[in-house]
Amino acid sequence: MMPVLKKTPLNKAHHELGARMIEFAGWQLPVWYTSILEEHRAVRSGAGMFDVSDMGRVCIAGRKAAAFLDKLLSRRAGKLQIGSSQLCLLCLEDGGILDDLFVYRVETDRFLIVWNAANVEQKLGWLRRWAGSDPDIVIQDRSADTVMLAVQGPAVTQLRSLKGVSHLPRFGNTQTRLDDVEVLVARTGYTGEDGFEVIADSADALHLWRSFMEQGVKPCGLGARDSLRLEAGMLLYGQDMDRNANPFEAGLGWLVELDHGDFIGRSALVEIRRRGVKRRLVGFQMTGQGIARSGYRIFGRGQEVGKVTSGGYAPTLDANIGLGYVPIELATTGTDIEIMIRDKPVAAKVVSRQFYRKGA
Amino acid sequence: MAPKEYKYTLEHEWICPESKNKGKAGLTDYAQSQLGDLVFLDLPAPGTQVEQGKKIGEVESVKAVSDIFAPVSGRVLEVNQTVVDEPGLVNKDPYGAGWLFRLELSKPSELDALMDSEKYDKFVAELSEAESK
Repeated sequence: MMPVLKKTPLNKAHHELGARMIEFAGWQLPVWYTSILEEHRAVRSGAGMFDVSDMGRVCIAGRKAAAFLDKLLSRRAGKLQIGSSQLCLLCLEDGGILDDLFVYRVETDRFLIVWNAANVEQKLGWLRRWAGSDPDIVIQDRSADTVMLAVQGPAVTQLRSLKGVSHLPRFGNTQTRLDDVEVLVARTGYTGEDGFEVIADSADALHLWRSFMEQGVKPCGLGARDSLRLEAGMLLYGQDMDRNANPFEAGLGWLVELDHGDFIGRSALVEIRRRGVKRRLVGFQMTGQGIARSGYRIFGRGQEVGKVTSGGYAPTLDANIGLGYVPIELATTGTDIEIMIRDKPVAAKVVSRQFYRKGA
Repeated sequence: MAPKEYKYTLEHEWICPESKNKGKAGLTDYAQSQLGDLVFLDLPAPGTQVEQGKKIGEVESVKAVSDIFAPVSGRVLEVNQTVVDEPGLVNKDPYGAGWLFRLELSKPSELDALMDSEKYDKFVAELSEAESK
């Protein structure tokens, strides 16, 4: 039997636009509306929007909310100002990564976390396990009754609906009204461009979506979401890192504040860092003809050394790029490696993971 | 609508007979619309012997890799270098400028087993209907 796919409040709107729909982490979502390349370019040069309602949204409130998050997250949530946010990791006791997530401080005792669509039940279970029955920690999954839109691109601050929040600094967030709708809006995104993420009640989803469409914002699907984030060197949980990877080898050491108190996974991470990592997630660019895809084998100095975790065509660079783990001695920029593409070794070079840099 | 003078395979390739034993081949409009923006083509070198229904190359879109099969048996005469340099031509003009290669047919009678445009259009309509359910 086919599993029943979850649908966002905008599912019907996607179908009406003629989107090609696919399954992603248990959700039915558009992979593209007109063309991945067009959608990718719209975000790099103008404005595009994504229905990212598959991302989980969980409200953590209560007198001990800040202390609770400090215990669970790799960076201190308690030091966040109201109206700011940060990317951080949810680690297991052994230092493995359970997810990467954004935590927004909405009020002194109210936070919102936004995490990946995968393993939601498991992650909620993890939070509830550590919260226990403490009445001062209230965990509420808001994913089903809200919608989340990412409006991204250099032109977003010129949009009628978003002019009023163009003062927000990067990672800033505020509760306000957009197009007469109550929203939480944050200057965050996953594309390497300027942009906003907007969370609203499900009932207002279509109104917001149509308003942005009328303002010329191009609907964009999962295809562009993936090609944009890869170009910007952003990792995808479950692909580029997971519970079997530690933050340091994934190049996410900057998200780990080992001096902030005893969060879960900290002692393991201290030990991992002391020992040093043996492999590292690197960026690479194909120098030979071919496109690397997730799962392809990486060869270095004639030996199989690792696997591609993400790979594809980078439209802005007109190059074929990817991410993958290689032994630390091959992780230096400029190192020649080979990617096995359908039983043929194809030349590639280790490059900086930030393939694309805004305004560069 | 698929061009009338072409013949079509179940794998969504077309072949356009140019003379008794020569033909030009490519991917159908349905194939390109399913694959999305094409970004890479791996085609057989001129001179390669190919066999009907056997895999002879690959086409990659932004999202996925897919095989190209030989619509008929024969020898590759020429590869469309323009389309190798600009795979997006297949999306823009699958039946014209987006052709992939020319073949010398070793068994021209194989053409008879392929679908004509009317049959192919019907086949695609059924696929599209199944997909929208």
